[in-house]
Amino acid sequence: MTEQILLFPVLLPAIAGLLMVLLSKRFGSLKELIAVGITLVNLVLAVYLYPMQMSYAAQWFGSGIEFSLRLYQFSAFILAAVAGFGFLIVLYSVAFMRTRQSLSQYYAYTLLSLAMVNGAVLADNLIALLFFWEGLLITLFGLIFIGGPSSFKSAVKAFVIVGITDLCMMFGIGLTAFRAGTLTISQIHLPLDAAGAVAFTFLMIGAISKAGSMPFHSWIPDAAVDAPLPFMAFLPAALEKLLGIYFLARISLDMFELTAGSWVSLMLMIIGAITILLAVMMALIQKDYKRLLSYHAISQVGYMILGIGTAVPAGIVGGLFHMINHAMYKSCLFLTGGAVERQTGTTDLEKLGGIGRKMPVTFICFIIAAAAISGVPPFNGFFSKELVYDGALERGWIFYAAAILGSFFTAASFLKLGHSAFLGKASGAIKETVKEAPAFMLIPMIVIASGCVFFGVYNALPLNNFIQPVLGGKIDGHSFAGWPTSTMLVAITVTVIIAALANHWYGISRTGKGIGAVDHIHYAPVISNIYNMAEKRYFDPYNIGLVLVNGISRVAWWIDRGIDWIYSSFTVKVTYAASTAMRKLHSDGYPAYIAWALAGVIIVIAVTLKRI
Amino acid sequence: MEKELLLCIVFLPFAGAFILPLLGLMSKPLRNYTALSFVLASTILSSLLIPDVIHGSTFTFAWQFPLGFNFVLQADMLAVFMAIVSSFIGCIIVLYSFGYISHYENQGEYYLMVVLFIGSMMGIVYSANLIFLYLFWEVTAIACWRLIGFYREREIVIRANKAFLVTVFGALVMLIGFIGIYAQTGSFDMDTIRVASKNNPISNTLVLLILFGIFSKSATLPLHTWLPDAGVAPSPVTALLHAAVLVKIGVYVYARLFIDTFTIDPVWQTIVPVIAAISALVAAGAAMIETDMKRIIAYSTVSQIGFIFLGFAINNEMCIMGAMLYILMHGLAKGGLFLCAGIIEQNTNVKDITKLGGLIKTMPITAITFLFCAFSVMGIPPFGGFFSKYMVIAGAINGGQSAIAFVFIVGAFLTIIYLFRLFTLIFMGEMKTADAKEGSPVMITSIVILAGLSVISGILIYYPSEFVRLAVNQMLGMVQ
Repeated sequence: MTEQILLFPVLLPAIAGLLMVLLSKRFGSLKELIAVGITLVNLVLAVYLYPMQMSYAAQWFGSGIEFSLRLYQFSAFILAAVAGFGFLIVLYSVAFMRTRQSLSQYYAYTLLSLAMVNGAVLADNLIALLFFWEGLLITLFGLIFIGGPSSFKSAVKAFVIVGITDLCMMFGIGLTAFRAGTLTISQIHLPLDAAGAVAFTFLMIGAISKAGSMPFHSWIPDAAVDAPLPFMAFLPAALEKLLGIYFLARISLDMFELTAGSWVSLMLMIIGAITILLAVMMALIQKDYKRLLSYHAISQVGYMILGIGTAVPAGIVGGLFHMINHAMYKSCLFLTGGAVERQTGTTDLEKLGGIGRKMPVTFICFIIAAAAISGVPPFNGFFSKELVYDGALERGWIFYAAAILGSFFTAASFLKLGHSAFLGKASGAIKETVKEAPAFMLIPMIVIASGCVFFGVYNALPLNNFIQPVLGGKIDGHSFAGWPTSTMLVAITVTVIIAALANHWYGISRTGKGIGAVDHIHYAPVISNIYNMAEKRYFDPYNIGLVLVNGISRVAWWIDRGIDWIYSSFTVKVTYAASTAMRKLHSDGYPAYIAWALAGVIIVIAVTLKRI
Repeated sequence: MEKELLLCIVFLPFAGAFILPLLGLMSKPLRNYTALSFVLASTILSSLLIPDVIHGSTFTFAWQFPLGFNFVLQADMLAVFMAIVSSFIGCIIVLYSFGYISHYENQGEYYLMVVLFIGSMMGIVYSANLIFLYLFWEVTAIACWRLIGFYREREIVIRANKAFLVTVFGALVMLIGFIGIYAQTGSFDMDTIRVASKNNPISNTLVLLILFGIFSKSATLPLHTWLPDAGVAPSPVTALLHAAVLVKIGVYVYARLFIDTFTIDPVWQTIVPVIAAISALVAAGAAMIETDMKRIIAYSTVSQIGFIFLGFAINNEMCIMGAMLYILMHGLAKGGLFLCAGIIEQNTNVKDITKLGGLIKTMPITAITFLFCAFSVMGIPPFGGFFSKYMVIAGAINGGQSAIAFVFIVGAFLTIIYLFRLFTLIFMGEMKTADAKEGSPVMITSIVILAGLSVISGILIYYPSEFVRLAVNQMLGMVQ
């Protein structure tokens, strides 16, 4: 019985989710109650399970494909974090979604997503993992789809991008299972030789795509605009990050032995660095609250991938710590965005302004989360970033430079966002009667924002209890908790933040508006051209991919038509020509026939004579 | 007892088909329900065989004839599996026809041909003699010719002739191969050939000749273009051709002959996957460009058949299991897609997807069913297609063909893209057609059953996978 308790985090939300679809529309409030209740039960269960270690296995497909779940330190920690976010965001949705259409579908997909994420976190068999992992595609599609009449394009884009990377992961799993001879994750320990690196790369594609890294990111900004807002805080900002980075850590630490010298490590660091920089550059110029945040959701993944990719203890611990920190401050930021959207009716930064005084709680939560993401001490983001810097510097100054430059732009873009939304003056579009958001929405924001402070000030708690145990022997009992060891790195970080403030002040003095704070970067020569092309989506890997696919398909189409021509035209013409020619042989009257007959006789005689 | 059962499974639909037009003169509902019951009988009677064959035993019904023309029916797990899958999907299609075909002429001929088609499929599945296999094979070609030409317009009849000529030409080439087998082993009986070829593998020329027939029937490049053209047929017929019967004949006979019966040169383990890979990619590409709804789904079939061939060609347990599951999952999902397309076609009178749009508002059930079936074809969990796709890919990797497996992964990418293109163009965006209604209840029921089974077969994968595993053990056990 005891092991079967592991099924509950998967089954409970799944059953509740299906119930949402089956129950009639009249039970609207009952559905909200069920959703909140189930996520609360899930949270209690996750906390209860946290100190335990157990496995559950059931017969499933056979051929090594078992339905096996394993609870241990790492998965228990992620499970608890997922449960926490799940509960808070559902609570938030009660107020946010109430007026929306398709409430049943929203809760159904949210609960099913929770079940899938729980399943994927607990899975101890690669196919069970992939089953839940890919199953998330459907709920992802559904959640974006219900956003509005035109959101299906973003939904399809998300589905295609994530679906393709999931297939890559399927291929990677096939390669891994072939090399390891087993599908049980806890039994796989492979060296990173040539074949191992290929398998690793395909698994990694799945992991970083789920986390939303470049080049698999481009659906996130689109979804930010189209999908219901709690979705953004729920999946791309929190759960998918946790899941993707969790799996990346599993493959880098347990399944394969990632070493600092390998090219795989270098590849991860390059992906991380590029993601940090390019995404933050795009975030800088956004003029929509949600879209700006979504680019940061991409950029911050870069730090996690960079950290884990360094393959040195400080970097890995930093990357994992950043994962949990990011989930906190980014979901908090999205929730503040939701509060602003609900109370003012817009997220357009051109229209917003001066709402800080009317929504003080939201504003304070925003300040805390924005300071955390910008790496201001003593919030949680500061400590995890310092660890990533430390690891990156150990592997090469260029990676450190990319990371610190990213921090500069992060700080600059949040100064711009905060200034233009909460300070200054509103343009006419915003009503004077804007009020603070309802309590259901404030509570989750306050809880998460205080978490950001708590995990910063008492960073020993998460580091010593949750993250360092995951690495086990790799860090030799060394603790990364407390104030960063390198004073020089801290000094540089502080300098960068001051530089960002200076930059902001310069920008405002030029344009006089919060939203114009980065215009001097945006419209700088050369850069503005690149920005223009990026805004027109010339660099969107999805669009490039579609053009490529169309080109290849066109070739395939001509091959197909060519083959068809052989059947439909060529064969017909040849047959017709041949029969016409044959018919002519028969239309010349008796002399011709006699000539043919004589010729035949002669040939027969000649052949017979030759035989003899 | 079981021997008579075998005879019933084949001849109830095969011979019974001919009384249907007569019944139709008396009462149309009677004819329709009799047709359904004949096909259903094949499903149920085949299911009755499960308890016996599951322990690995086979049983045989045989009439001895001179010159090797023995009429032999044999039931083993592979045959029972295939028979149940085809006849079950056949049942759903016949049920759907009640609604779809009810206002056209030539209904008597329609039901005759459909039931004859399924009956001769049963004949192919259970035949253990090459000559009778060939005979049933040709009967399906005739039935298919009449069914594709159902609407009798000139252009449509030409398409029907094309399908007939290509498949019959392939079959004749295959017949030469069969005669060659007789020359080499002295028999048309599979059991005899199995023993004889063990020490003396079938020559590559004969394999090539037989493959020609198989590829023409299963619409594999370069013998595939008749299949998209056959989209002019009524939708239940295209579902029958693509999902349940016709294209599955080729892959079934491949499994029956080249895995279960003959010992062949291992070089085919590379050649066939390469052909299948090219076929899968080219057809997927064509599906991206095409704008006729039914032709797109038809190209998708050509592409997916490539996966099944990959599975059967690479001779290991995982791959063959994957391929057999693929037959099941693809049958359910593709059947569902065609039947959905039929509802759309009939209610809007449009087949060009660029002229459709926004139908999710007026046809929500069809839209969701279509999406479910598409998910299964894409291989998204929890739909059944997920497991079959993984097994085929992983089996190919285990067989040492990682590069080809990757080509198929690319084919799977394209599957996602073209199915979504199809879905969005039909169901999303602006409404371009006059108000279209949902299909009739019996048609909706049929598609919902297929979509539902696509989900259930994924969640309860244990049962099909166990059955298939035993079947594969039996097949491979015989080869060894």
